[in-house]
Amino acid sequence: MTLETGLVTEPGWHRLDRRMLLVHPVNELVRFLPLVIGVFVLGSNSSGTDWWHVLGVLIPISLGVLRFFSTSFRIGSEQIELRRGLLSRNVLTAPLDRVRTVELTSTPIHRVLGLARVQIGTGSASRSGEQHFVLDSLGLEQARRLRVQLLHRSEVVTEPAPAEVAAPSPDRPGQPADDVLLRLDPRWLRYAPLTTSGIVIALGSLAFLGQFADNMVGAAAQQATERVATLPLWLSVLSGLVAAVVVVSFLAVLGYALTNWGFTLSRDRQGRSYHVRRGLLTTRETSIERERVRGLVVHEPLALRLAGGGHLAAIVTGLDRRSRGSAPVVPPAPRDVVVGVGELLLGNDRPLSVDLVSHGARARRRRWLRAIAVASVVPLLVALGAVLADWPWWLLAPAALAWPAAVVLAYDRYRRLGHALTGDHLVLQRHSLRGRRDVLLRAGIVGWNVRQTFFQRRAGLVTLTATTAAGEQAYRAVDIPEQLAVALAHEAVPGLLDPFLEQ
Amino acid sequence: MSEPSLREPSQRVSARAPLLWAALALLQVAVVAGGLAAVVYAWQLFALPWWGWLCYAVVALAYVVVMPTFRYRVHRWEFTQDAVYTQTGWLTRERRIAPISRVQTVDVEQGPVARLVGLAQVTVTTASAAGPVRIEGLDHAVASRLVEELTRRTSAVAGDAT
Repeated sequence: MTLETGLVTEPGWHRLDRRMLLVHPVNELVRFLPLVIGVFVLGSNSSGTDWWHVLGVLIPISLGVLRFFSTSFRIGSEQIELRRGLLSRNVLTAPLDRVRTVELTSTPIHRVLGLARVQIGTGSASRSGEQHFVLDSLGLEQARRLRVQLLHRSEVVTEPAPAEVAAPSPDRPGQPADDVLLRLDPRWLRYAPLTTSGIVIALGSLAFLGQFADNMVGAAAQQATERVATLPLWLSVLSGLVAAVVVVSFLAVLGYALTNWGFTLSRDRQGRSYHVRRGLLTTRETSIERERVRGLVVHEPLALRLAGGGHLAAIVTGLDRRSRGSAPVVPPAPRDVVVGVGELLLGNDRPLSVDLVSHGARARRRRWLRAIAVASVVPLLVALGAVLADWPWWLLAPAALAWPAAVVLAYDRYRRLGHALTGDHLVLQRHSLRGRRDVLLRAGIVGWNVRQTFFQRRAGLVTLTATTAAGEQAYRAVDIPEQLAVALAHEAVPGLLDPFLEQ
Repeated sequence: MSEPSLREPSQRVSARAPLLWAALALLQVAVVAGGLAAVVYAWQLFALPWWGWLCYAVVALAYVVVMPTFRYRVHRWEFTQDAVYTQTGWLTRERRIAPISRVQTVDVEQGPVARLVGLAQVTVTTASAAGPVRIEGLDHAVASRLVEELTRRTSAVAGDAT
């Protein structure tokens, strides 16, 4: 298979797409924007330094052009090589059978020009090399063909050329139709304010805006404070809360839309790999080889769970560390959707519906003790403040609300704690606020850690950790009775514990 | 029928290991004392009365003496045809089991203090970042033999489940 890259210098070596000659200059300009602005401002102050303007623009552009001409790649029968470097030549090599994932990313500039950045995950444990296997950028078509070539080397020759190039749909131009398993329903945006990531994004952008328009916001805040000071306290607190909820919700929805707009999960016709496509401005296409999937994590944080929603991630080997080896396969969505897709991916409905074995009375006591102990800190601090710093005593009333909250939390934490074993999977469930159920392929478990703190030992409980080469690398069953843990580990991976057991 | 339980690994670490742990603990305690002295005397952020130093000395001494003794009772290791099994810790205890078939690398390390007492540490890593199995305080000769044996066995089985 040949790739029509043009500008081929040596046989077999390909350059990046020619359109990158446009992207690099623009990107570099954006990166150098503060400098460029500085140059222009300085230039207008003092006369006769016009050439500074030119230099400030020319250097980044020529850097981009040089980078284009100094980068090339080659795909042999056994390995992929990436050659880079302006002054020092740097050749990165990876065996083709080590390629685990391929990710295509297009920023708005890339999208206008029809380009995609190709990131190749080789699953190496090295922290550095991974993110450098990047081809920035190829034409979208070429990138997609490259993806097929990298992920399914054997079949690529027999695959017919995509037929519908003539009439590309805006969604997936020229790609052989895959089975679409899931498409984002815009109504799911309502879940955005209930997810932690949504709230984090919202607060992050608030902080950013705060810095950006410090003076404006400061003046507005000043004005608002003066007006609010004339209102009764409870009213200003209430209106402040409402305003915060509205702003954070809006930003969370915006963040959800930015990352997940057009979210499509599809499976190629032969069922060899999954593709996730998402993003409003910058689009991102992740491809995961089916063999690399070691399980799923169902995320059901408390707020989302109360609204009947959840989200789903796949546990995959070979994703880079930044994404912590878990690829989202369902964005925050109704629980039915999450379970439906989960069953489809697992090929089995047991792991998501099976009744869990709970961890018993001593685990429950630990949930209660911890919740109450942590909750007691709040009223204690308030009482301390009242004694030492003359805080009003009535503050104790709202502070005491921490206790009922702790009771609810402890109840829910214990109710959700549990584990189960199905034909192929180990199922572990824990947490309330960050509720999650891990479904891990038993064949993917590469070892066990059994950990006992001093207090756990007194209660006869352990934390059982299944280690794996995928995802978060470790999946835990917390506060499980020792005997139960040994029995579970023994049954999940037969034979491994045999020599170390005694009756 | 009684449920099976996990027994302890069979091998103890070297009898000189507590010496190593005590030496390292002494070093830690001395560094903390140095920091404390700098804060109290050089920067004079707060004053520490003589009985404060005494308290610190008592706690530090107890740590240096008690921790290695406890640790020596806990630390154990074993390896069989198919698996490596270790137990570590003193207050918090951890047992780790890794199948030989999933082992990726076997390392021997010797810190400067360990070298003085002729001890070494063996680290066995699997494909998971969460599962390195570490055996501290092995006699150097034992460690070398262990590594040799482990390498021989791991090369006999292929695949690491990545």
